[in-house]
This record gives sequence, structure tokens and C-alpha cells, in this order.
Amino acid sequence: MKIETYTLENGLRVVLNEDHSAPLVAVNVWYHVGSKNERVGRTGFAHLFEHMLFSGSEHVGNNEHFRYVQSVGGVLNGSTFFDRTNYFETLPSNYLALGLWLESDRMGFFLPALTQEKLDIQREVVKEERRQHYDNVPYGTSFERLLNLAFDPAYSYHWPTIGSMEDLGAASLDDIRDFFRTWYRPNNAVLTLVGDFAPQEARRLVERYFGDIPAGPAVPRFDLIRQPMNGERREVFASPVQLPRIYRLYHIAKMGADAWYAADLLATILTADKASRLEKALVVEKQIAQDVSAYVLPTEAAGLLLMQATAKEGVSANELEAALDSELARLTTGTISEAELTRAMNRAEVDYAHQVENYDSRADMIAMLATYFGDAGMMPRWLDAYRARTPEEIVAVARQILVPDNRVTIHFVPQESR
Amino acid sequence: MNSDTDFRGSAPDPDPPRPYHFPHIVRETLANGLRVLVAENHNAAIVSYRLLVRSGADHDGGNPGLASLTADLLDEGAGSRDGVRLAEDLGALGASLASGSDWDASFISLDVLSRNVDQVSPIFSDVVQRPTFPPDALERIRQERLTEIVQQRDEPAAIASKRFSGFLYAGTSYGNPIIGNSESVAAITAAAIRSFNADHYVPNNSSLVVAGDVEAAHVISLAREAFGGWKHGPEPVRPAIRPRAIEGSRIYLIDRPQAVQSEIRIGHVGVSRSSEDYFPLFIMNALLGGVFNSRINLNLRERHGYTYGARSSFSFRRDAGPFVVSAPVRNEVTRESVAEVLSELRRIRTGDIEVRELADTKNYLMGVFPATVQTSSDVAGRLLDMELYGLPQDYFDSYRENIARVDETAIAHVAQKYIDPERLLIVVVGSASQIREPLGALGLAVGEYDIEGQPIA
Repeated sequence: MKIETYTLENGLRVVLNEDHSAPLVAVNVWYHVGSKNERVGRTGFAHLFEHMLFSGSEHVGNNEHFRYVQSVGGVLNGSTFFDRTNYFETLPSNYLALGLWLESDRMGFFLPALTQEKLDIQREVVKEERRQHYDNVPYGTSFERLLNLAFDPAYSYHWPTIGSMEDLGAASLDDIRDFFRTWYRPNNAVLTLVGDFAPQEARRLVERYFGDIPAGPAVPRFDLIRQPMNGERREVFASPVQLPRIYRLYHIAKMGADAWYAADLLATILTADKASRLEKALVVEKQIAQDVSAYVLPTEAAGLLLMQATAKEGVSANELEAALDSELARLTTGTISEAELTRAMNRAEVDYAHQVENYDSRADMIAMLATYFGDAGMMPRWLDAYRARTPEEIVAVARQILVPDNRVTIHFVPQESR
Repeated sequence: MNSDTDFRGSAPDPDPPRPYHFPHIVRETLANGLRVLVAENHNAAIVSYRLLVRSGADHDGGNPGLASLTADLLDEGAGSRDGVRLAEDLGALGASLASGSDWDASFISLDVLSRNVDQVSPIFSDVVQRPTFPPDALERIRQERLTEIVQQRDEPAAIASKRFSGFLYAGTSYGNPIIGNSESVAAITAAAIRSFNADHYVPNNSSLVVAGDVEAAHVISLAREAFGGWKHGPEPVRPAIRPRAIEGSRIYLIDRPQAVQSEIRIGHVGVSRSSEDYFPLFIMNALLGGVFNSRINLNLRERHGYTYGARSSFSFRRDAGPFVVSAPVRNEVTRESVAEVLSELRRIRTGDIEVRELADTKNYLMGVFPATVQTSSDVAGRLLDMELYGLPQDYFDSYRENIARVDETAIAHVAQKYIDPERLLIVVVGSASQIREPLGALGLAVGEYDIEGQPIA
């Protein structure tokens, strides 16, 4: 995997990964800003802003961004998370210049196209997104509730990327302008190209479209420090659901630390398939859970391991939680076999292969490594950090993190009447 | 050379297009009738195995859920391994196995690290030919299935889709949920599962598709070894699906008192995959509601802000699957959203098609193909389509041409022929106290139903 990295004079970092297997090119821009950079009273803003960036710029009309890309056979989207916002398109490779033109226009020339009407429409669309994914579905607010408990209000992982209805309602055009000027600068972005291009020509085009976008002042540093929880935080939430479900959040090391990779492997060992610890015990043998899952999130500022289990009809949340904890205790007071670690390692390898085989997902991972670690060159070495882990180390990490003081627990339980 | 001031004013011209070719397909039919298709794809060290059985929920008969329960049990024991042992041995090879049914077919899927193809082949072969259906696993999976059906009562999108199909295809297998209903799942016997497996999982009713980082000749020789001894059987006879006609448009309102959005489904019976109008319909639907920049999404989302996303689709199955427009919208604009969809369905039939929107849509569908077949799993999926629907061998080579030749006249023709705005089945799952009255103002018949589809007096 050939990866070249360089920086334009305005601070834009550029990563090129040439690959001629298919006549396609993935164009991917990561801005190092997400919901963790929002302030209280404007939660959900980074994501609302992402929607606005599809509503045109000085030389691209409203909805024309989608049209330009789709009408040549391209696919596109954007997404927002705690720490970053990304914008990406995969195009037939002869349209590389089109992708660069579109991305550079919204990086450099967004504000002249901004209108109140566009903001009002996208505000409604995002409110519908919140209703569809959080408020109108069973257990929809679970992640929001976990974050509310796990992080104090002063630490901006306290709220999810979607934000609150009230704050979405309060967002103004001035907020948009300020946010753009503060964060959407070339010196706060990574441009990644993966696919069928000649590197010299790609460099020339990148310089042409992005070179004259002025750098902004250095972006504000994220310097919040998560306060320790001082004991487990728990909540029981009655809602119109058929079955009780337990949600857990555990604080873990930051991504990139040895203990983060160990926690990722631990999550696989716990719930990847029928042979995994929790699924085998709770779903296959005791049959008190309908499902169980555990996974780590690719977050930058603070590490998170999430776990959930749904109770079978007639099984209480307390009963299920006791069985779950006794299985976790079996692991933390025992050992992990070489075979278990090999299976988890294989799964990491398969996940990585799936990430690489698509240009768009490969570009996204490269961009993540460049944005969070300043090192796109980690991409071909990604699995090394997993391979270096031992069973003893994973048990040690499990012992450290799988303790009550380090976790948040929520029981979603059915309301009395249904 | 452009001056540095004017290159931003308009979109840059493309370079000459670079050629794209769908991966070469190697085919072989074994003596027992099993068709084997292999396509190499070396983007990553992964191989995708897919076994297609051309029988799905369409063969459920009086046992809704039978095909999918049979498929679901395949990884619960095969050859000498029980379910946990299968998971252990597959995990040790970096392989993951899944199985399930659709309306027209059942599938067994296995993705494996390419270095372990030789070792995984006999295990895959056991799962296909020698499943054991252990009684304790059947009872466990049955309970999981019953619980899943209970869980769906919480999910407005699932309720809406299930009721839409149920009303539209009442009395046929397309009207039943693939996973069955609580009565049928409780009643399915081990004997019924074994005989479904014996009758339908035969080589002459199946295709083996392999795509990925492996030599085609090697896969063929592995397949001969693993599947050459599979006994062929009588070809299953497929029951035809005959939905009853809709007399006039009607709204089926299903109350979900706590809802903050209405899940809307609007449509009627569509067209089968074998239709000679497939390409014009495919393009017409893309323009109407099949892609982001389509009429229905631009109208409901980008013009009105009623929804996060609205779409239309034709399910091209072996028989005519549904045509349906779907959208979740906030309670307050439920009536307006239904009205906008109805007006788009009427407008597409008038022949009012802009030259540019048709050109954009066709260019999208032609150009996007390579981006949708990057992975081994993508390639395998395309081969499965070919096998399931009997597409010609040069299908993907003539794909662009088939799209290119569709014009405005053909679009208007299929819109008039296959979209009927006066005979629509409209399902709305939402807060009845808030939306009952506004929906009544649309001038259509309205009936209220519970989430199981029973009329409320």
C-alpha cells in the first residue's frame, strides 16, 4: 500500500494512495471538528453544519453538489461524530478534478451561498433525523442517556452528535458563520485521495483547487479533562418497549494506546459469535438473553467500550445483569486461551481487509489516522498493534476496566401498561 | 491554460473515461447439476463464498417462516460439529458464516481470509450438505424467533412494512413476514424443517458463487471435491403468487399513541424481475424516488423539510413484488406528505420529464456501476442476481447499453402502465389522535387497524 503525505502552504494535509485496480477515485475530506467542539446551548451544531455544507457554495447551487456527483455516476455523503466531520465522494477516476473543485469550493467559498431559508430547511431535516433515529424508535435514547451519565456536563462527550431539539432550534446564521471561520480552514483538514490517478497530476490539481484557500488562525485546542466518576452511575428508565435491555458504558484508554487495542480484542472475545464468552453463556446456554454485543468506538478524546444485552420475555433486567457480571468475573479472575485470541485476531484482520477493499472506506480510515495521530503511514501497519497483544495483557486490561467504578449502567424496562 | 481566476466558475471537464470491465466469470456445471461461478477480485485478502438455493419463503405454503427457520439452523450443527464448535473452527480460520432466506431464495454466505480457503471448503460443504438440525438448537432458535416477532411490535418502520405487505399480498406467501408469525413459528416441526431441507437444498436447485482473492481454477477443483458427491433430487415446483386486485385507494391507519413521526407506505403490486420493461422501470423509479436527487426526496426533504429521507422502490422478484414509496415524517405534516407523494405519482405519468433529469439519472445508473462492485461480496452479489433471475451471460457487459437506450417516451410509457395513483394501498403507522382527522381530509377511504392488522371496530 503506497501512501504519500505532504502539506500545502496553507496547512492542508494531503494523503495520496495510488491504486489502479478500478477506474475510480475516492475523494475524502476530514475536518478536525465534531460535536465535542460544540458549546452548551448549541449541541448538535457540528452535524447541522454538515448538512449546510451540502446546500451549495459560491459556485455550486443549492442541491447541485449532489447533482454534480450523481450525474457522473458518483456516490457521496458526509458524517459527523464527536471528534471529526467528513465529506466524501467516489467518482469515476476521470472526474477527479470535479471532486476537488466541489470540495475546494465549499472549503473556500461557502459563506456567500448561505441563506436563512436553507438553514431553516436543514434544521427541519435534522430534527426529522433525530425523531427517526432517537425519539421514535425503541431504546432510541440509550446512547444519549449513557453519555449524559458517563460524562459531566462540562465535558463535551456529555451529549451525542445529534444534539437536542431545543439547541437545533436555536442555531443561527451567525453561529454558522462563526463555526465555519473557526474550524473549516485548510489547516484543520486532511484531504485523502485513493484510487486511479497519477500522483504528479493529482498534486497539480490539488494545488490548483486548494492552494489559494487562505489558512486561518490556529484552531482552538481541545483541552477539557474528563472528571472521574467516583463510583458507578446507574439509571432505570421505563419506556414503551416489550423487553428489558441493559446498556453499559466503560471508560477505556484512548484509541492508539496498547490498552485500547486490547479492549477492542476483548470486546470481540466477549460477543463476536456463538463461541464468544457472553453469547455462549447468555444466549446459547442459559438462554436468558435475546442478544448481547460489545464494541469499542473509534473516538479520539476519550475511549469508550459499549455493551448491551436484551432480556428474554420473563427475564428481569436485574437477573440478566447478574448473569452478565458473573460471566465477566469468570474472565477477569481467569484466563483467555490462545485459541480465543487467535479468533479475535482473525476477526480484526477480516475487518481490516473489508476496510481496505473499498476505496471509500480505505480513504476514510487513512484520513482518521492522519487526523487523530498525524500519521497516515499507520495504515499498512494497523494490525501490528493487535498482533502484539497477549492473552495475559487482555485479562489485565479487562480486570482494570470491567469494574463498577468505571462504568455506567442503564436498564431500559417496559412501562407498566402496554 | 485557464487563468487562475476563472477555473472556479464552472465544473471542470472530465478526462477521457478509463475502461471498466466486470471481472471475468468462470463457469462450470457439475454432473449433479450444481452450477459453479467464480470471479477473481484481488482488492483484499478475502474470499466470499455464496450458496444460492432457488427456494425461499415463496415455498413456505401453510408454514410461514419455514424457509427462513430452516436456513437459520444451518450453522447450528453440520457434519460432526455442533453450533459452538462450528463457530470455533470457522473463527480459527478467519471465516464468518451466515444463512437466511428471502422471498425467492435461501442463501448461505461465508467470507474467509484467502489463505484459509482450502481448510474452510470441507466445513462449508458440511453446512450445505450435512446440517444436523439438533432439536435443542431448534427450540432455542424458535424462541429467539418468537422474541424477535415480539420486539418488532416496538419498531414503527417494521410494523409499517409488515402491514403493507400483509394487506397487499393477503393470502399469498409475499404477504407473510419472511420470519413467519407467532402462530406459525410456534407450530413448525423438526420434520417439516428436515423435509424442506431435503426437498430444496439439492444441487440442481442451487448455484455456488465464489468471488475474491483466489485462483478460479483452484476454486473449481475445490468445488468438485466438496460438492461432486451431493445427490441431486427432483426440481421443486414453484407456487405462483397471485395477489388480489385493489379496487380503489384506501388508507390503513395503525395507531401508535406515543409516536412522534408517522411511518408512511404508499404503493401497490409492482412487476417481476423478468419483465421486458425492467430497464425503463428501473430508471423511472430512480428518477421518481430511487436516489437522493430524485423527485420524491427533493420534494419531501429538500423543499419541505418534512423528512430525513423519502424513497420509492420496485421489488423485482420472481413474481411481481411491491412498488412502494416510504417515508417517516413528523406528525404535523402527515397529510401534506401523503398528498405530495400522490401528486408526484400523478406527475410522473404525465410525460413531464425534463431532458436533464433523465440524462442525469441515466448517467448516474451507468456510471455508478463500478463503484458498487468493489468488494468480493459485491461481485458475488451480482453473480447471485444473475443466477437467481436467469440473466443472460453478457448481462453486465451490455448493462450500460440497456440503460442508454431508454428515452422519455419509454419512461412515460412504463409510468402510465405500472403506476396507478387511483388504486393505492396507503399504510400510516402513527399517533392516530393527531393524524386521524388530517388524513380524513384527503378524501380517501380510511380504516383503522391494530398492529397485527385486525380492523378496529
